[in-house]
Amino acid sequence: MIKAILIFNNHGKPRLSKFYERYSEDTQQQIIRETFHLVSKRDENVCNFLEGGMLIGGADNKLIYRHYATLYFVFCVDSSESELGILDLIQVFVETLDKCFENVCELDLIFHVDKVHNILAEMVMGGMVLETNMNEIVTQIDAQNKMEKSEAPTGSKQYHPTRGQCLQLPAPPPRLRKKPRSLTLWCQPLIASSKCTYRH
Amino acid sequence: MSRVGKSKEAEIKRINKELANIRSKFKGDKALDGYSKKKYVCKLLFIFLLGHDIDFGHMEAVNLLSSNKYTEKQIGYLFISVLVNSNSELIRLINNAIKNDLASRNPIFMCLALHCIANVGSREMAEAFASEIPKILVAGDTMDSVKQSAALCLLRLYKTSPDLVPMGEWTSRVVHLLNDQHLGVVTAATSLITCLSKKNPDEFKTCVSLAVSRLSRIVSSASTDLQDYTYYFVPAPWLSVKLLRLLQCYPPPEDTAVKGRLIECMETILNKAQEPPKSKKVQHSNAKNAILFEAISLIIHYDSEPNLLVRACNQLGQFLQHRETNLRYLALESMCLLAGSEFSHEAVKTHIETVINALKTERDVSVRQRAADLLYAMCDRTNAPQIVAEMLSYLETADYSIREEIVLKVAILAEKYAVDYTWYVDTILNLIRIAGDYVSEEVWYRVIQIVINRDDVQGYAAKTVFEALQAPACHENMVKVGGYILGEFGNLIAGDPRSSPLVQFNLLHSKFHLCSVPTRALLLSSYIKFVNLFPETKTTIQDVLRSDSQLRNSDVELQQRAVEYLKLSSIASTDVLATVLEEMPPFPERESSILAKLKKKKGPGTVTDMEEGKKEQTEVNGGVEPAVNASTVSTPSPSADLLGLKSAPAGGGSLLVDVFSDAVPATGALAPGSEDNFSRSLDLPGESPASLLVDATLGADTVTTVPAAGSEDPALPVPDADDLLNKFVCKNNGVLFENQLLQIGIKSEYRQNLGRMYLFFGNKTSVQFLNFTLNVSCPGELQNELNIQAKPVEPIVEGGAQVQQVINIECLSDFTEAPLLNIQFRYGGTVQNITLKLPITVNKFFQPTEMASEDFFQRWKQLSSPQQEAQKIFKANHPMDTEVTKAKLIGFGSALLQDVDPNRDNFVGAGVIHTKSIQVGCLLRLEPNSQAQMYRLTLRTSKEAVSKRLCALLSQQF
Repeated sequence: MIKAILIFNNHGKPRLSKFYERYSEDTQQQIIRETFHLVSKRDENVCNFLEGGMLIGGADNKLIYRHYATLYFVFCVDSSESELGILDLIQVFVETLDKCFENVCELDLIFHVDKVHNILAEMVMGGMVLETNMNEIVTQIDAQNKMEKSEAPTGSKQYHPTRGQCLQLPAPPPRLRKKPRSLTLWCQPLIASSKCTYRH
Repeated sequence: MSRVGKSKEAEIKRINKELANIRSKFKGDKALDGYSKKKYVCKLLFIFLLGHDIDFGHMEAVNLLSSNKYTEKQIGYLFISVLVNSNSELIRLINNAIKNDLASRNPIFMCLALHCIANVGSREMAEAFASEIPKILVAGDTMDSVKQSAALCLLRLYKTSPDLVPMGEWTSRVVHLLNDQHLGVVTAATSLITCLSKKNPDEFKTCVSLAVSRLSRIVSSASTDLQDYTYYFVPAPWLSVKLLRLLQCYPPPEDTAVKGRLIECMETILNKAQEPPKSKKVQHSNAKNAILFEAISLIIHYDSEPNLLVRACNQLGQFLQHRETNLRYLALESMCLLAGSEFSHEAVKTHIETVINALKTERDVSVRQRAADLLYAMCDRTNAPQIVAEMLSYLETADYSIREEIVLKVAILAEKYAVDYTWYVDTILNLIRIAGDYVSEEVWYRVIQIVINRDDVQGYAAKTVFEALQAPACHENMVKVGGYILGEFGNLIAGDPRSSPLVQFNLLHSKFHLCSVPTRALLLSSYIKFVNLFPETKTTIQDVLRSDSQLRNSDVELQQRAVEYLKLSSIASTDVLATVLEEMPPFPERESSILAKLKKKKGPGTVTDMEEGKKEQTEVNGGVEPAVNASTVSTPSPSADLLGLKSAPAGGGSLLVDVFSDAVPATGALAPGSEDNFSRSLDLPGESPASLLVDATLGADTVTTVPAAGSEDPALPVPDADDLLNKFVCKNNGVLFENQLLQIGIKSEYRQNLGRMYLFFGNKTSVQFLNFTLNVSCPGELQNELNIQAKPVEPIVEGGAQVQQVINIECLSDFTEAPLLNIQFRYGGTVQNITLKLPITVNKFFQPTEMASEDFFQRWKQLSSPQQEAQKIFKANHPMDTEVTKAKLIGFGSALLQDVDPNRDNFVGAGVIHTKSIQVGCLLRLEPNSQAQMYRLTLRTSKEAVSKRLCALLSQQF
């Protein structure tokens, strides 16, 4: 079973947390910090598995993670999951994000919290793998987008949180169809090219 | 967000502003349109993600659930599955909305509802839906996507509340989902069946043949057959893995046709591993190998096909040298399991050089740890010397995080496969030399036990420790072992003038002043044994015992030993001495407590399995285990102490007991007359050491087991009473205790040496508590140190009601124990009796003192005698967060001094503890080492007991 799915950036800022077991809100934050601490001090190109931190069950659980550009994707799983299987699942997740957001980058995760959750929900449910077929997932998400469009009242604002909607930040770097690649790290695509490779 | 919030404060300010804005929008008169609701709920989610509490918006989210618009419904469900606690009051409203959506026959709404149930997974939801979901799952007209979700939803409910999921007619139909057209449905169903069949294997037995045929169809399909479920040219890797996992729930199929088909599958999988890859992408090889590793797990699980086992082993052997770190890691892990099989143990052993090399050269500590595990698993009589030697040499450079575990492993292997015990003694002494700090008590207890039980090794042991002690700097554990062994067997090497009795004594005594109190206590016992072994050393030793530093030692234990041993040596006749101080009798054989410790450390599963595997294997090989073997029968007794000591961590009192109480029964052959003589001769005028001895022996037990003098039948403090106490060291308010009946809350305030504590007793049931009585007691010495007045309470507590008790506390002098609170009441027919430790600790009477850097260091220097300082080095139990640490130190009571310590990472504090009789000035310093995840805590106060107590209390907090 997958106990938790965490995404945080190179500085430990959480970008997504999804717990499939009950932890208090404080514990959740501590787990994120602990996990960041464990994962971030590891070199690149060591192995992608390590024993879980104390808070999330210690050696009975494994952390399986991948590092893409500015983000760490960490799955905390128990012994009933296949390590390599989960590693591939992370890849499917990121590739799906990449398809849905076109060159996904950290900013997308900040401004589309709900979308990321919805995509994840198509893949993992209650801690178990629901669907692994990327086309199927993308089809579902497209269908959702269509319904969203059809439901948007005419004349009202389209839901487009990148335009300074979320938290009314000072306007984020302009980014619509084409994302500037070098503006800030936040805009760095997670997957270097459309070929979906990652270093290893 | 992080860009806006340059600092933590700015971020909090920004977020509070935003929260206020959202709150006003929700509360405002104008009804929000769906889009705005959605927008604000999204913002709340993001704020929650950053770690801020969200205490509103739940109702708005619940309202979104009943919207007809998909987008609104979706965001409502999202909010609820992230933010709503399972015992929320809103659960009824939520359940209602879910019920409507499940009945809507709109597949998208049904999926949302099922997701919500699976993600929250509370008992209330199980009660409401557990009987509904199987119907949805097996109904003929259910859409594939809904079936998928329903299967996993049911799985989740079964995991949280298995009693609420009724088995029934649906189970056989679920098994047939393995034949479904849609691979997504099959994957979900396989997960569900795997979980269900663990508890009801017979009910789901038929899944084996269905799983085999499904697997065989996937494995033999071409890489394009399964279209979208082909991942980087590997057909349906996740489903294959799940099916192989499912098969691991059952023994090999009995039906020969099914079995033949399955073996064919495994062979195909093993063959494919040898084929050239269809793609150079790492995803391709990952997916392929995920299946391969799972197949190997199944082969190991069956443990009946020698041919496949050896092939699996060879395959893993290839991976051991693979350039992918992940594969090396997994290969080492799987090989650990293979090493336990009689068929493949020898094959695994052929890879020893590779594994040793991995231990030495891998860059990643996770991989090195697996290599160490594998070496441990593949060790047997033939390769033990090599493996132990390699592990020992690895210890010199090993990562701190795994040193203790490696020490335990070396100790166990050295004992288990010791052909001659001189090798064993050498190994353990090397272990102490190389990694002394990581050698736990169990390890050195064990070496002593073995030396005492085997007389062929005693002389060698004495000679070896004597040589080891000659090193200019040797670890304290070495001194302990040395002291003990020379005290028992020093006579065996005394013939050599280079190790004459006096030389031995001087060597031991040269270490004395560098050692901690428990070690010194042990050395004193060795000295008195020397008096018996070598009468010529008597005067020298008496001089030592008589010196002020012993007779007037501020440590009670040391002082008492010095006094008693001095008297014993001067008064008792040689016969009596010889009897009292006779050599230790052999210990009864029992399970090595090192093994128990390793099991505890690694979790019960892993080690036991490995050990059991080993046991089978040795039976098969007809290997004869050495006589003093760690029994492999698992009776885990973590606290089993080898020396038969009462497990008192300080070790002081119990070591004393051990010299006498264990030695005396050993002289069971004493004639009645001499026994008489023995007791009379100890009956000394003036001070009575005999009775002191008795006190010391009993004292250790009585203090801990009879907590409350006065109350007739006190319940023992609840086992975690000390944890409860620790919880309140740095805070004054909170929940002290809770069970099904009763909740006890606590609020307290302290000024100078006075305190007041409010205890709130809440009756959680709907029934009265009768004869409700509270009794606060101060065990032992504490009576003179604390003055506690508790006001009486009403004897009846109504159901659901709360009573309050006020306790006034006056601190008379410093103290270490905690007062006990005994609660008795009658609930229904039974008397409840609970004893807790009241969280009144000496630090509560702290008054912070601000001081400048110079003052601090001046005072620090003034408090430099060893008795005034208490120091502890310990592992961090919580993430090392500076702010949290600061808060804890302030909660502890001392002032937190800024800019005092030259190292900015360190924390220093100062304060005065107020008691009626004295005031104790305290300085503290906490040095975090985030790399090692350790802390060093130093306390200096004008009073030894206070330093120790504060150090013990505070060191539990990080």
